[in-house]
Amino acid sequence: MERNISLTVNGRQRELEVNDADTLLEVLRDGLKLWSVREACGVGACGSCTVLLDGRPVSACFLLAARLDGRSVETVEGLAGDDALHPIQQAFLENDAAQCGYCTPGFIMAAKALLEEHGDPTDDQIRDYLSGNLCRCGGYPNIMRAVRAAAARTSDR
Amino acid sequence: MTIPAFDLLKPGSVAEASEMLLEHGDEARPIAGGTTLVILMKQRALRFSHLVDLQSIPGLERITDNDDGLSIGALATHRSVERSPLVQRRAPALAQAFSHVGNVRIRETASVGGNLAHADYRLDPPPALLVHGAEVVLAGAEGTRVVALKDFYRGMYETVLEPGEILVEVRVPHAAPAARTVYSRFSSLSANDWPCIGVAALLSLDNGNVGELALGLSGVAEAPLLAAGLERFQGESCSEELWDAVCDVVDEQLSPVSDLRGSADYKREMTRVWVRRTLRELAS
Repeated sequence: MERNISLTVNGRQRELEVNDADTLLEVLRDGLKLWSVREACGVGACGSCTVLLDGRPVSACFLLAARLDGRSVETVEGLAGDDALHPIQQAFLENDAAQCGYCTPGFIMAAKALLEEHGDPTDDQIRDYLSGNLCRCGGYPNIMRAVRAAAARTSDR
Repeated sequence: MTIPAFDLLKPGSVAEASEMLLEHGDEARPIAGGTTLVILMKQRALRFSHLVDLQSIPGLERITDNDDGLSIGALATHRSVERSPLVQRRAPALAQAFSHVGNVRIRETASVGGNLAHADYRLDPPPALLVHGAEVVLAGAEGTRVVALKDFYRGMYETVLEPGEILVEVRVPHAAPAARTVYSRFSSLSANDWPCIGVAALLSLDNGNVGELALGLSGVAEAPLLAAGLERFQGESCSEELWDAVCDVVDEQLSPVSDLRGSADYKREMTRVWVRRTLRELAS
């Protein structure tokens, strides 16, 4: 069935026509061309499609868009300001926390949710929270550094 | 990966949802968090023409503290249970168990009711609910009934839910003030994976002797298991020999299946190790 939903995406309200079987990932990529939302495993295990739904981290690959009327979605495209990257993006850049970069948007969104929950996380908290985001390049040490740096930056603000 | 077409139905009440399920029979399923269901539909393991959206029914996600126990709405997410100060205070093992499921995104999405109704044999929450003597409230066209969780499972992915019946609430009686609880899991693959085995224990001590004792297990039978026959240990003094005897009684009730996470024999051995560890921890 086709239906109309209203979705706030990166702060902008969108009226969208979706099919009941459309995933949030399909709507964000195919409809709104937000290419940071990536499907890899397709079953919620790898984290490369991580977006924030009303501020909470979710896998866009298996959420049904037709159930999200009135909700708010944030992707990495919504993070940077007009003239500066978001502190988490900046920290990933400065700590070389991306190799191929495929998993990076998911890690950044997961890190944003983590830092909103734990402003000054321990290494165990970072590992536990990000354990569902996989980096096939194995870039975890630099990702840990980036998240620690982002925590220091955001808690100073 | 696309999902084969289906129609999403939006009931306004449990009664309406139940009617929709009866109308479409095996072609329909209720959808709560939609983690397992949608993924299995994506993988073409399951196909339904209609999904009945339980999220469109108001109020099914509440967690409240009543005089005699906690009431957890079937649509409460794993994360809302894990982070609930109420659950953390009243049933810490339950908060622990929910915090182990999948990853943070799965827990933000997956529902308590879906976890139970899916009736997988290797999930973290059921053992912790079983040691608390939890009950599930099932609502259908004929009315509402309350079933003990230990009687809810009929086998692998099988429950006592009748056509049109919906699990709407989980009731978790408060443990006696002297009782301590813990949930512990053994992961033989990654931390985000299903457990190889999961063990929850409830123990109260009376002058160093066993008072109340309950053990809930997952991964070691076709469905989550509440160990029977443990009342015989009441009044015994805590010792390694006693824990051995408890393990013997538990072992007789296991019927593990070999899977990716370990052979049947291995799970049997690991159950001994984990039961002993949880009891030691609670008795210390």
